[in-house]
Amino acid sequence: MFSIYGAKPYLKAHEMRLTVNGKAIRIDAEPEMPLLWALRDLAGIKGPKFGCGIAACGACTVLVDGAAVRSCVLPVGQVDGEVTTIEGIGSSEALHPVQQAWIDEQVAQCGYCQAGQIMSAVALLNEIPAPSDEEIDRAMGGNLCRCATYPRIRAAIKRASDTSAET
Amino acid sequence: MSRAGRITRRVFLGTAGAAAAGLAVGYYFYRRPFPNPLEARAADGEAVFSPFVKIAADGPITIIVPRAEMGQGVTTTLAALVAEELDVRLDQIAVEHGPAASAYANIGMLQDAVPFPRFDDSAMVEMLRSGMGIVGKFLAIQGTGGSSSAIDAFERMRHAGALAREALKAEAARRWNVEASGLTTASAAVTNPATGEELSYAELAVDAASVAYSGEPGLRPASEWKLLGRAQPRLDIEAKSTGAPIFGIDVDLPDMVYGTVRMNPALGGRMRGFDAAAAEAMPGVLKIVEIDTHLGHGVGIIARSTWHAFRAAEAVAIEWEEAPAALDDAAVWERLEQAVSGNDGSTFRDDGDVDTAFADAPRERIVEAEYRVPFLAHATLEPMNATARFRDGNLHVWAPNQAPTLLRMACAREAGIDQDRCTIHTTSLGGGFGRRLETDYAVYATRLAMEAGGRPVKVTWTREEDTTHDTYRPAAIGRFKARLGADGLPQALDMKIASPSIIASMLPRLYPSLSAMGADAAIVDGSYNQPYTIPDYRVAGIKADIGLPLGFWRSVGNSYNGFFHEAFMDEVATAGGVDPVELRRRLMANYPTALGVVEKVAEMADWSGETAPNRAKGFAFATSFGSWVAEIVEVSEDSGRIRVENIWVAADVGTALDPGIVEAQLMSGALFGLSAAMFEEINFDAGRAVQTNFHDYEPLRIHQSPKVEIAILQAAAKMGGVGEVGTPPAAPALANAIFALTGERIRRLPLAREVVFA
Amino acid sequence: MKRLILLLFVAVPLPALAQDAGLAEWQKIFEVFSHPRCANCHTQDDHPRWSGAHYGGARIHPFNVRRGPDGFGNTGLTCQTCHQETNAEILHGPPGAPEWHLAPAEMVWFEKSSAEICAQIKDPARNGGMNLEEVAVHVRDDALVAWGWAPGPGREPAPGSAQETFAALERWAGLGAPCPQDADE
Repeated sequence: MFSIYGAKPYLKAHEMRLTVNGKAIRIDAEPEMPLLWALRDLAGIKGPKFGCGIAACGACTVLVDGAAVRSCVLPVGQVDGEVTTIEGIGSSEALHPVQQAWIDEQVAQCGYCQAGQIMSAVALLNEIPAPSDEEIDRAMGGNLCRCATYPRIRAAIKRASDTSAET
Repeated sequence: MSRAGRITRRVFLGTAGAAAAGLAVGYYFYRRPFPNPLEARAADGEAVFSPFVKIAADGPITIIVPRAEMGQGVTTTLAALVAEELDVRLDQIAVEHGPAASAYANIGMLQDAVPFPRFDDSAMVEMLRSGMGIVGKFLAIQGTGGSSSAIDAFERMRHAGALAREALKAEAARRWNVEASGLTTASAAVTNPATGEELSYAELAVDAASVAYSGEPGLRPASEWKLLGRAQPRLDIEAKSTGAPIFGIDVDLPDMVYGTVRMNPALGGRMRGFDAAAAEAMPGVLKIVEIDTHLGHGVGIIARSTWHAFRAAEAVAIEWEEAPAALDDAAVWERLEQAVSGNDGSTFRDDGDVDTAFADAPRERIVEAEYRVPFLAHATLEPMNATARFRDGNLHVWAPNQAPTLLRMACAREAGIDQDRCTIHTTSLGGGFGRRLETDYAVYATRLAMEAGGRPVKVTWTREEDTTHDTYRPAAIGRFKARLGADGLPQALDMKIASPSIIASMLPRLYPSLSAMGADAAIVDGSYNQPYTIPDYRVAGIKADIGLPLGFWRSVGNSYNGFFHEAFMDEVATAGGVDPVELRRRLMANYPTALGVVEKVAEMADWSGETAPNRAKGFAFATSFGSWVAEIVEVSEDSGRIRVENIWVAADVGTALDPGIVEAQLMSGALFGLSAAMFEEINFDAGRAVQTNFHDYEPLRIHQSPKVEIAILQAAAKMGGVGEVGTPPAAPALANAIFALTGERIRRLPLAREVVFA
Repeated sequence: MKRLILLLFVAVPLPALAQDAGLAEWQKIFEVFSHPRCANCHTQDDHPRWSGAHYGGARIHPFNVRRGPDGFGNTGLTCQTCHQETNAEILHGPPGAPEWHLAPAEMVWFEKSSAEICAQIKDPARNGGMNLEEVAVHVRDDALVAWGWAPGPGREPAPGSAQETFAALERWAGLGAPCPQDADE
């Protein structure tokens, strides 16, 4: 019988507890497993994507207590704070203003990097509501877009900052 | 009451040009329609109108867009082709990719695979093109590539929409006992204007599809379009802005396990042996499997998560054999130099008498240059992956891919089953750029699925595996020579381009017993087929023998010929004392479409205006995939560092079906070209790719990106492609701008070898 | 009288010997401080550095990573966006240690000479207001400094160890903390 645990006796010593998108979840994972894979493969949260595994592309970006973090290099055992993924910033009934700006500017092409881009943009705008071009460049340089939709990313961040400035 | 909507076959004729000469039998098979793949799958209460349209009695209108959505917007634009004629709004439809099927063959992709310039519409070339159309129908390759999807679908899918609309009207006419011609359609409903009565498509669908409709509805002229020709909100934009699990890497199935592969980094080399003991002992590891295929040799891991599989893969002790082509960079350049120095090539353009033109040329009238470009990786941000399940002799494969029918063939072959027992599910692609025309990621997943006891296995490659097991854009050398006349204009051009043949590399991967023969026009695509009128003009392509795996990379041969040709034309302009834009005005005088984009971009960029002391502009032009594109790049210099400030793109695509998406693709293509020009390079050592991840293969980032301005023109006689056409002029426009700024010609890419970018 | 003369023989060369011994200790310290694992984050400009054989030398940290207002990076891309508390296990993944950040710009070591670094280390205005004992203890005990000797896969560690460097600093301080002179001084 092809058991998911193989022939080895399985030790339940690896129960990780996390708060993700406001919910407490328990994951059965070694503490050194990167948060990205714990979220995607064990908790079924697919918003953060895998692009490189070495924190060089930003596709895996989540927020931990509001700060942008590359979940592909954060061991799940070292998570200290509340995790927010793209699923947690808004719903289809009520999109986050950044998501709405992304839609209004028609940013996405293949779309694979965009969850990470949006999370980095949210981290930026949470602290700097009306960022300059320079501040945008300095926040977003770690998020690679192979389709190079950068001009529209910039436009969407500016659009979101105008919106939030109005409210 | 529900009824299956498949009482009458609703099949669809593929389009093609006029039938060329052929056997009567061949003609019969050519004219016979492909079977409609939707019919076998139609649910109860679902009406299938064609391979492209199905309408359910309880509401949903589904349009099949059988092309890979990799960001280029086919989901929206090809659906709009149907919706325009069907008279439905885009928010009233759902779009599916649909199954792998011959009915979805891309005929348009092959019709322009004839080795003549796209703007050559002489009778002979047109006949060759329609011949390729027939071949296309026989080969019936469902593929997304060559910037061809909209061109291929333009007639066919509008026709599908029109047919379904007329069948629905006919049904309403029968129910109301009136003439169909008096009825109107809008927003998924048929209305009788005389009475105000209305019936929704959903109510009519099942009955409508069950009656043979034999009309030949005409297609509406562009002047009547409501959707086409306007920017539409993309149908996939919300999913992509909310991290929705639409990519291959997001596939999630009951009872699924995870896997990865580790194949010989010495490309093409076999595996002498491996010891999996340490890996098998690791937690979460289920099985280690040998993978031994003509596509690669190595091991596969099955585990309880992708990360467990990645870790275990590193722990397998493997003894690799050498690569059959154990080349390093020096060896590659040597072979390219040998090839370009020799005379073994094929001549694709030979106007006038080049040899005589050069024979008595005074030295000072000669311009000569040699250009070099490296191998490039595709580096799609979603790495190679596929999910496969093999159970009871049936194989299902879920994969982001650009060639479902090829995938079906290759996976069925790997599993040792008939193709009709293999189902391909095509997901959204996190980038394609030509890489996902290959089958390896799916074949390896199939192998693992055979060892997984019926459980689905999602096989994800590490980025390192992806970068080092790519099918690379080949390196190339171009040697170009011009003879100037007294007026400073080129009288003669002689171009020799050497590169390994991509199709010769690719064909055996698909059909191991076949080898490609004859000339490969891709080697000179972008140099031999540009609209310059020069009396003596010769372009030859020489195949270099470099046994590394090569593949189609966005714009293919144009990706380096654009650089070679247009960097050289800039050198010609400089040597002749002619402004580069003025040079094009003179040499392209016979091609008003070309002139249109040249003038437009020069105006956008204020080419002849004042330039600040530390700034400069460069110009380039390329026609590729049927579109005409001119670009100007502006650079600035500060403390020895160069910043790419602006790029202006003027592109004539004939008909812009969705200007918003066209603009996005032109921007993407241009920046993709700049990225490669500035930073990208794959080196080789003993047949192994040196670069492995984004710390040493560095595509363009936001802070390095110029501002982009796009103009879309629609004067060209024929519809041209969009996805790739922004790429070829980008590298030369930038290199030419750097020359204008620094006085230094850089003839080898990437430019970061010579300059520092801010 | 003889003892006085003997004393004179000993007293005169002793400071010179102490000077040499001190400089020898400093050399060991300099080899640590100037090593890429230390100097790459002791930069003066806006950028950390990467180095390794496969980069062909030191290069500016990509991704537009910068110092920021306080050495911890910029909003949206702080150092700790990528650098966690421990090294990434994966080759070419980001190294990690608690509180990853750049040293203040006045503590610049990157491309600085032995004399320049020596002067900086002794200058309370540029060493965080510490005396040499405090500097030595900081080098021995600080978790981020400790990273230099356990930098993760594929990176060459700094020479010696935290303990050895601490000891060299103590000895150097005891010998009068002499600084070498630059060739053109």
